Amino acid sequence: MKRLKTSCAAAALAAASMTVVAIPASAQTMLDAGQEVDMVLLPKFLGILVFDQAHEGAQEAHAELGNPGELLFVGPTPENSVAGQIEIMTTSATQGQGAVMLSNNAGDQIVPSAQAAQDAGTRVVTWDSPIPSGDGEDVFVAQVDFGSIGVVMADMAHSILDGSGQMAVLSATPDAANQNAWIAAMEEALEMPKYADIELVDIVYGDDQAEVSYNRALALVDQYPDLGLIMSPTTVGIQASSKAMQDEGLCEQVRVSGLGLPAEMVSYTLNGCAPEFALWDFRDLGYLTYYTAYGLATGQLSGEIGESFTAGRMGEYTIEEDPGRPGTRRILMGPFTVYNADNVEAAAQ
Amino acid sequence: MTERSTLSAMWARVQTWEGFLVCALIFIVLMNTALSPQFMTLSNQINLFQLSIEKIIVALVMTFVIINAEIDLSVGSMMGLAACAFGFLFQQGVNPVLVIPIVLLIGAAGGALNGYFISKVGLPSLVVTLATLIGFRGLARVLVEDRGITDFPDWFDRLGQQGLVGPIPLAIIAFFVLFAILYVVLQRSGFGRKTYVIGTNRDVAAFAGIDTARHKMILFIASGTVSAFAGLLYAARVGAVRGDVALGFELDIITMVLLGGVSIFGGSGTLLGTLLAILIVLNLRNGMALLNITGHIQTGVIGILLIASVLLPRVNLGGFLGTRKQGEAGS
Repeated sequence: MKRLKTSCAAAALAAASMTVVAIPASAQTMLDAGQEVDMVLLPKFLGILVFDQAHEGAQEAHAELGNPGELLFVGPTPENSVAGQIEIMTTSATQGQGAVMLSNNAGDQIVPSAQAAQDAGTRVVTWDSPIPSGDGEDVFVAQVDFGSIGVVMADMAHSILDGSGQMAVLSATPDAANQNAWIAAMEEALEMPKYADIELVDIVYGDDQAEVSYNRALALVDQYPDLGLIMSPTTVGIQASSKAMQDEGLCEQVRVSGLGLPAEMVSYTLNGCAPEFALWDFRDLGYLTYYTAYGLATGQLSGEIGESFTAGRMGEYTIEEDPGRPGTRRILMGPFTVYNADNVEAAAQ
Repeated sequence: MTERSTLSAMWARVQTWEGFLVCALIFIVLMNTALSPQFMTLSNQINLFQLSIEKIIVALVMTFVIINAEIDLSVGSMMGLAACAFGFLFQQGVNPVLVIPIVLLIGAAGGALNGYFISKVGLPSLVVTLATLIGFRGLARVLVEDRGITDFPDWFDRLGQQGLVGPIPLAIIAFFVLFAILYVVLQRSGFGRKTYVIGTNRDVAAFAGIDTARHKMILFIASGTVSAFAGLLYAARVGAVRGDVALGFELDIITMVLLGGVSIFGGSGTLLGTLLAILIVLNLRNGMALLNITGHIQTGVIGILLIASVLLPRVNLGGFLGTRKQGEAGS
């Protein structure tokens, strides 16, 4: 325990030296367990595996911190996502919830209700997807640094293609903000000399629909006879592409990589169609988000930039300015987990 | 004599239906009050209206359209188009005070477009407004692309989010004022009577010298304008617009009107019924939200309520069986 505290202090010091803002003396916090606070975990919508995993992570933290209060997992239906999120945010404020943990799907339309919740004393912690303007948001728990994802994808391409070859990107929808940011980051990474022999030949979109993605993947193979890799930065696209290559017996020629869920990818990784892919752990994201929200809602954290705390098994985290959204605050979870034949089975459980 | 007795029978049935709605509403309000300590607070009662305010304003005009034996599926898309047009023009630097009348004109023009094809060309409103549902939405998405537009002037956001008279915001006042005006128009004026007559039988109405085309034109222009107004209220309430504003709202609006006892075949229903249905849906949603029943379960419960209430009164079991027997005997 003592050793942990010392290392916390060291980490806080390191963080402090990197930030411009003056750090208060109480910057490093061990959260006091057992305080009662009701909190709401609000995903984009219900019925998506990764959000259920985030819920599991939050439940784990809830039990670990011995919070006698209630952890609610409520969300809208997909077709009613925006209005539903606003409604739940508003209701949570009415109920006097301690914190709402939001994976925002409503853009800035959530701002008035989030601000009203803050005025009512409810802390608003976003995770997975932030409030674009940062208004009405205490802090964003970011899964990864959106810039670093490009390097991870370039590295996976490098390792699968053995340093040289053609690759194509199969993304979600043409206007998906996160995927576009990740592809741009990968294109930037590919400029580096290490990846000089890797050629990005095309970027196509499967609209995050399994059948469209499946057909697009096959069309890519027809169009580019020398294609060695399909990189799909979406869990729907990577699975559909892998299935397409497997069904057509093309796995020897064209490999698949990108961002995928271990549970959905395990068979393709073991049979070599998708030897390597990456994703952050949504259980960890839910766990870290819960610790953050608990600290804020119980008043143990103030949410200032430079503040550090220990998030249970995950260790030390510091609130910093979000480089992508100046003037807002984030906690960076990171890094990626890269899955391959060695670790995919365990993660798929 | 037969007409008089049909009318009185209809009136009796409508009264029973509204009576049933009142009972259902009282039951839901009592349940909510008993189960949630926050339900009867003023701020929650305001939120209850505010969260659905745009839909319920449009539902008032939709009542006229459906009684007239027509339908307007394009209202949700028009709300989206109006909100996006506001955002777009605001971003182009047009004075927002000027943008508001322009957006209302866009609503009137969109309604007139529907009205033209329905009343002058004679196409079914289901087809015409299905086309404009897609068209208006497409236009909205073209205007704002995949961006959110935000940072509207403070006074505009305040109108949508804060109290105008005490704690009561503009939109709620607008709803009740509009209800009062439309109630008089529908239940107490010649225009209202024409709406029923045309809805019951358009040919008879035309034969009796009513200009049915003009009447329908007025209704669709009103529907477009009020939808645009509702779209502006939405933009002010959430302080931001995106291409998907009010997506799918038309179905919620139409179900509220049908729950209110308005016949989908036209000719019957009242504005009071629509108001009661609105209050039932709003209170049920709010009560379930306060009890943390959300998502698919909430949709399911409201769905079951609507199936039960919209279908049951319309399936006259005895009459239905009787018709079947007749059909069998004929064949």
